[in-house]
Amino acid sequence: MEKRQDRTAAIPDWVSPRCLPMVLILLLAFSLLFFPSRQAFALQLITHPDADITEISRNTARAVFSMRRQVWPDGAAIRVFVFPDKHKLHKAFAKQLLGIFPHQLRRAWDRKVFSGTGQAPDTVQSEAEMIEMIKKTPGAVGYISEDNRDESVQILEME
Amino acid sequence: MNRYRFWKWSRRLVLLSWLLPPLATAASLFADENLQIHGFLSQGYTHTSANNWFGDSSNGSWDFRELGLNASYRLTPQLQISGQLLSLTAGEMQDGSLSLDYGLLDYHFANFDNGSIGLRIGRVKTPIGLYNETRDVAFTRPTNFLPQSIYFDKVRNLELSNDGFEIYGDLLTDWGDLLLQGGMGKPVTDENVEYAYLGNDWQGELSADLFFFGRVIYELDGGRIRLSATIADGDLDFEPGPTDPFSNGTTGIQLRVLSFQYNAESWHFTTEYMQEDVISRDLGALQPDGDNTAEGYYLQLVHDLFSDWEIIARYDVSYLNRDDRDGTKQEAGPFGIPAHNMFAKDWTLGLRWDITPAFMVRGEYHWVDGTAWLSSRENNLFQTERHWQMFSLLASYRF
Repeated sequence: MEKRQDRTAAIPDWVSPRCLPMVLILLLAFSLLFFPSRQAFALQLITHPDADITEISRNTARAVFSMRRQVWPDGAAIRVFVFPDKHKLHKAFAKQLLGIFPHQLRRAWDRKVFSGTGQAPDTVQSEAEMIEMIKKTPGAVGYISEDNRDESVQILEME
Repeated sequence: MNRYRFWKWSRRLVLLSWLLPPLATAASLFADENLQIHGFLSQGYTHTSANNWFGDSSNGSWDFRELGLNASYRLTPQLQISGQLLSLTAGEMQDGSLSLDYGLLDYHFANFDNGSIGLRIGRVKTPIGLYNETRDVAFTRPTNFLPQSIYFDKVRNLELSNDGFEIYGDLLTDWGDLLLQGGMGKPVTDENVEYAYLGNDWQGELSADLFFFGRVIYELDGGRIRLSATIADGDLDFEPGPTDPFSNGTTGIQLRVLSFQYNAESWHFTTEYMQEDVISRDLGALQPDGDNTAEGYYLQLVHDLFSDWEIIARYDVSYLNRDDRDGTKQEAGPFGIPAHNMFAKDWTLGLRWDITPAFMVRGEYHWVDGTAWLSSRENNLFQTERHWQMFSLLASYRF
């Protein structure tokens, strides 16, 4: 025990806990200067072909994809499909279409799943699988790149 | 825990980690899109320079383990049933026995264009601050040990979950979202609550009365900025046993928390401030009638490095009595409890590595001045050391 305390005492002053407030402030200031670069993809929200809804506001879309909104206006269950957190389309979708970061979605889902107040979205690995699942699941909503626009699913326009 | 028990446990954990993912995929075998199964398991190692925290930590303790398994089922589009089993081992404070963490019916009854309202009934997680509802899921908290100023581990059950109901609603506007929760219920208390408020596990019983809970969260840009205010208010009733030195009385508790969080793409700044009134009535001469306010706050900065690493720095301060922050009055009082048991100032530095999305390890180092958050179950408060350090390593798996 004595030894360990000695070791702490030997750490130079500038790493001592007393200096940490300054380090925190500097890091925070630096973070405000930090603007991420964006890689643009043309993305499109899609729904099951029978969906009544063809337009959605960004606020409502956020509520849907953070699993807070659970039913469509007609009362049908919403089924959310996403790509994995690190998928480039998922990152672009969160930032460009929803205007939030993927980690915010992950946190929102975890809060729901581990407190019994909601469920996680279903994850698909490819755009082909996304279209396939959206096509066969009533109430489904997801997203694809515009290059892969497919007649068998319905486009959901963001207002 | 000795080495043999450690290896026995790690073998069990490895076995579980092989068994559980197939179990989760088994849910899809039922071919029922309404059923979801999730869970987590964590194993921690704690080493302190002095004092005991989560076991015999001054000799290195493996007595920190969290196992959880939950299921949820959507009975109708608007009605969900869900429950979670939890086993927590935390030194002398938690023995790993199985408990129902939550078990509830969630009825999302009203949906509008710009909001919704719902009701939850059963054992509901208590909404406190930013982290409380998923405090036992290592993936969802910033450090192995949450800031003890607000998320006390020595009386965790008072905050954990409550048997009752909760009404919730959200309002979506162009200036941000408002998320509201309010409810009533009985906190699921245990003997740790008795240790914290009455100093021991007495023959009699300290049980919780109905508490009122309320929390409002304001989120801008889907959570770039999060502001929250929490209140929890209720009484603990003590029914003394024949030899107990307390009489039939109550401990009233009111907890107030304010929270702020800013989330940039790779930076997260969080601060929370807490006050807790503890009001003793009719407990007898050992605990004279009186009002006492505990206070605490922390400042925390997290930075995501690359995509799988995260560093964190935090300063966390707890005072058990804001009118006696340095503890001198307590030390001069009838029991002469050393002053440093009345506060704790904790500097934490931590590093997290998400090896895969489902497997994570995190190490952190704490420099602590004061012992306010140590439990008298694990420590003789007269023999605690004021200045101490802690190293904690934790591996966690989720599915």
